[in-house]
Amino acid sequence: MAEKKRYAFVIDPARCIDCRACLVACRAEWNTPPGQTRIWVHSDGPRGTFPNLTQTYVPAQCHHCADPWCVEACPTGATFKREEDGLVLIDEEACIGCGLCVNACPYQARFRNVQTGKADKCSACFHRLAAGEQPACVATCIGGARMFGDLNDPESTVSKAIAGRAVYRPITDEVNTQPMTLYLTPPDASAVQVNPTRRDPVPAETFWHTIGLPVVKLAIAATFAGQAAAFIIQLLKGENEYEDA
Amino acid sequence: MSHEKLTLEEREALRQQTLVKHYTANILTHWFNAFSWLLLLPTGFAILLGKAYPFVPQAWNDLVRNVFGGLAPLIKWHAIWGQIWLFVLVFNVLFGFRKYFIPFAATRMWMDKDDWRWLMIRPLQMFGLMKDKPLPPQDAYNGGQKLYSYLVLIGTFFIGVTGMIMTYSELIPTSLQWLIQWSMPIHFIAVGGVFAGVIIHVYMGAIMPEERQAFFSMFSGKVNGLYAYLHHRKWYERKMAEQAAWEDHYQRQLTAAEAAGGESPAAPEPAPTGGDR
Ligand code: HEM
Ligand code: SF4
Ligand code: SF4
Repeated sequence: MAEKKRYAFVIDPARCIDCRACLVACRAEWNTPPGQTRIWVHSDGPRGTFPNLTQTYVPAQCHHCADPWCVEACPTGATFKREEDGLVLIDEEACIGCGLCVNACPYQARFRNVQTGKADKCSACFHRLAAGEQPACVATCIGGARMFGDLNDPESTVSKAIAGRAVYRPITDEVNTQPMTLYLTPPDASAVQVNPTRRDPVPAETFWHTIGLPVVKLAIAATFAGQAAAFIIQLLKGENEYEDA
Repeated sequence: MSHEKLTLEEREALRQQTLVKHYTANILTHWFNAFSWLLLLPTGFAILLGKAYPFVPQAWNDLVRNVFGGLAPLIKWHAIWGQIWLFVLVFNVLFGFRKYFIPFAATRMWMDKDDWRWLMIRPLQMFGLMKDKPLPPQDAYNGGQKLYSYLVLIGTFFIGVTGMIMTYSELIPTSLQWLIQWSMPIHFIAVGGVFAGVIIHVYMGAIMPEERQAFFSMFSGKVNGLYAYLHHRKWYERKMAEQAAWEDHYQRQLTAAEAAGGESPAAPEPAPTGGDR
């Protein structure tokens, strides 16, 4: 395994019938508390005029972005991007549930698990991948709308699925985290449901960056420089053996 | 540092005196606290990710995290030692409140005019300025030490509260998540503030030759009279008056006992003695 993997979801909304088997499979796999889910099927309702109605369903989850804002926001690195395959994962034992990452994700793909108090989101079923299986949602998707695999491998399902097709990445001019979900649908049909929105950092985070860090750096640098100067003066002056008590 | 010149004889006589500056319990607490900072500071800084919060270099994160076997165990050890540290401090303050903490706080925290004047002169003297300006007489602790104890007490309070919030964050409902969010910068600022103070504290307490007696007193509990007279005149004079009062009292009891028929005197009421006051 010399070469790094580049895992991605490929999703074909045209094949999704909103059966939500994937949500059930995900909940069974991860035991997410009632009212919370790691994955979604979005829809913006029927379009057109009766009887020519259509409706698009857009499966979504954490996109395991190549430039993840959630990782950037985490103060400790409990949320991190795994080197070897690009998955964005959470070290739950290290997470203190502060929710900065939840706020930072422009896709609202994260939540604070009410049972564990930790950040939670799609982990691409990394344990199933390690066992050579597909993520639970992908394995269970009867329409084949959800696909997952390694873009660096030309033989993978995802590489084959996008070959020669127009793909749509859910980004805007303002927000580009380089999401690793590619949608096989023209933008007009799916743009509404999956496009990201940037949220302001929480006040504590802003305070930390604008006041906390500079003030502490300055205080420590100033006292250290002051004492270093005093010490140099001491070295130059020597000690008063008889005068000092 | 006095500018009323003492005679050589006076200096020698003062040198022979020994005064108790610190109680053993306070000495032990102090070194336990210093040792804890030695453990908690480098581990704490390694938890804060240098990439996202540029304070320590990423290399320090990597090094310490590798030593502890990863981020999660590092956080765990930091939190465990932090709780031991807090427990010992709170325990000592609660059980030693009347006999140790009050005397400590009483002489350490009340800033009078002399303390403020000391603060204006002493720092400049450290850099070779105002050499001939006499320092106002100080109590058991000088103005700088008093300010520093505010910093340490207030800092310790905030470090403790925010540390506990972060350690037990899973008990905090999401509606109160701002508590966790604010705990992080407050913890950081309190640590940074105390640490800035510690830099001065360690230099003045352990390196500066004029304060050598103070350094050794943090082990033996004692200082000699000359140091006490030169650096803590008010305290020295108060102690001498206390001692004289006690000796006077004792003498009167001795005399009374002799008059009553040569019995040895009952143990006299102890006058207030001891260090940290
Ligand atoms: C290895 C580092 C340290 C050294 C060499 C040191 C040295 C000293 C000395 C010599 C004194 C006695 C001052 C005097 O009686 O005039 C003292 C007192 C004190 N130190 Fe430290 N200290 C160290 C670390 C710390 C740390 C990390 C803290 C707190 C975060 C701290 C807090 C205090 C306080 C509150 C006092 C006042 C108690 C007293 O003076 O009786 N020290 N220290
Ligand atoms: S979708 Fe959100 S949670 Fe997932 S990697 Fe991107 S920024 Fe992070
Ligand atoms: S909730 Fe956990 S993973 Fe998210 S930013 Fe806070 S510590 Fe990091």
